[in-house]
Amino acid sequence: MAEFHLEMKVNGKPIVLDVDPGLRLLDVLRDILHLTGTKEGCGEGECGACSVILNGKLVDSCLVLAPQANGQEVITIEGIAQNGELDSLQKAFLEAGAVQCGYCTPGMILAAKVLLDHNSTPSRLEISKSISGNICRCTGYTKIIQAVEIAASRIATKEGADHA
Amino acid sequence: MPDYSTIGKSIQRIDGIDKVLGKSQYIADIDLPGTLCLKVLRSDVAHALVKKIDVSEVERIPGVVRIFTHVDIPGINGYGIIVKDQPALTDKVRFKGDAIALVAAENEEIAKRALKLIKVDFEKLPPIYDVWTALKEDAPAIHSRGNILTVSKIKKGDAEAVLNQAEVVVSRSYTTQRVEHCYIETEGGVAYIENGILVIKVSTQNPHYDRRDVARVLGLPMNKVRVIQATTGGGFGGKLDISVQCFLGLAAIKLGRPVRMVYDRQESFVATGKRHPFFIDYTTAANKEGKLLAVKVKIVGDTGAYASYGPATLVRAAVHATGPYEVLNVDIDALCVYTNNPISGAMRGFGTPQMAFACESQMDLLAEALGISPVEMRRRNILQQGSITATGQKMNKSVGIGKTLEAAWEKALQVMPGLGDERR
Repeated sequence: MAEFHLEMKVNGKPIVLDVDPGLRLLDVLRDILHLTGTKEGCGEGECGACSVILNGKLVDSCLVLAPQANGQEVITIEGIAQNGELDSLQKAFLEAGAVQCGYCTPGMILAAKVLLDHNSTPSRLEISKSISGNICRCTGYTKIIQAVEIAASRIATKEGADHA
Repeated sequence: MPDYSTIGKSIQRIDGIDKVLGKSQYIADIDLPGTLCLKVLRSDVAHALVKKIDVSEVERIPGVVRIFTHVDIPGINGYGIIVKDQPALTDKVRFKGDAIALVAAENEEIAKRALKLIKVDFEKLPPIYDVWTALKEDAPAIHSRGNILTVSKIKKGDAEAVLNQAEVVVSRSYTTQRVEHCYIETEGGVAYIENGILVIKVSTQNPHYDRRDVARVLGLPMNKVRVIQATTGGGFGGKLDISVQCFLGLAAIKLGRPVRMVYDRQESFVATGKRHPFFIDYTTAANKEGKLLAVKVKIVGDTGAYASYGPATLVRAAVHATGPYEVLNVDIDALCVYTNNPISGAMRGFGTPQMAFACESQMDLLAEALGISPVEMRRRNILQQGSITATGQKMNKSVGIGKTLEAAWEKALQVMPGLGDERR
């Protein structure tokens, strides 16, 4: 099969590749770009472990073919920390004890990131809904929801300070 | 209280930062150059003898390096945490998903193609899908020792006599379902030879036991096998058993090349242990004041094709059959039974959650029969300092369950308004 000429931005960096058009975005990220923070849990869009942000929206990268990402902007867990500084969500996940085995953590953080980018004062229900496509088998979700609340309150405080 | 550096403080996980950054290396993230891909041919029948395995078509596929079957096992072809009854590659199929052949290929695509071309001749045996059939005297034996793996008994006092005279007796049957752990990371591992030692990096909860079983199956001394637990994406008891370890070890020592094997979700569901389905006949006797007098329980646990942690799970079920309550007369039988169903093993609680369902249901039914509140029914029987358990242990140190019950009740009243209005 003819290779597909793929151009996309991953974590702010332009990427140009010729790939098998049958590859999933997940395979390109993990196997070619070695961004293994994006996990495969089920391979059929049930668990959310492979979540990435595609043009500002949360997607399961196992359900996105590589050509569908052409010309798009992808953000993975590796692109969340800025200049060596953990994102507020990453800090809050550690603080709240929302990380156990860690396999769902990248997807969870990205799901919460999409929420907070659009809504910095989410209700508990809105937080639950935002992570409803991401399965965690360790925590029972309570600590994850708490972590998102902590991060949201920090962002709100910071925004308040910035506007003051 | 003195100011300790760690005790009494909430401390950050040692692996936390790598996990939130996506840097932790789970098995599927390890990149070893020159690695062969391994895949297992699994049985699509539940009970059969393997008469012939024809690999002639497969060996001609470019990129297929080797196919292993039961004849290639160099050591003792049986592993298991308690009973060594599970072959790494079998010549007798005991469940749908039993491993028959192992393919080593240059990549996953070739390995998958190879699996489709292996031809297996079976002599089919009657499959047994439920414990009652397995327990019949004329049932086909799944293992040579028969279908009853273990019987655990706890006897105290004279339960039968008390049951016959008690003022209130409740008798019910309970069944619980098979449950998959469904850790988000499936089973996987890599293996290679380093300085003459077989090194297996694997997603596991049990590296020491893995090492012992791998050495046994491969006929290697223990000091030639090293098992390293990789960052593990959940286990919940399911990764206490051998999954990919023996396959990896076999291919690595025979081929001298690094090998890799990661189950997809379907294989993880098919091939690995589950929570035991229980079949429980439960009879409880109490007096008019709601004090428990006697308990008679028969538990049958479906351990599936292989023992795994079955015997220990059923012992635990028996020990916890009376729940956190004091009962003076106890008659408990717990049977661990083989069937041709998927393997049952360790899973969070180890037989106790199944028993809690039955025991607590009995408490509710007794409360109803006696016209007292379910919480009061429990208060009157809860274990406390000085109580004696079903197994005869005197609780002579602190016992927290009474306080836990009251705290749970308080919380329930908070989150479920109106709960305390009637009959409580």
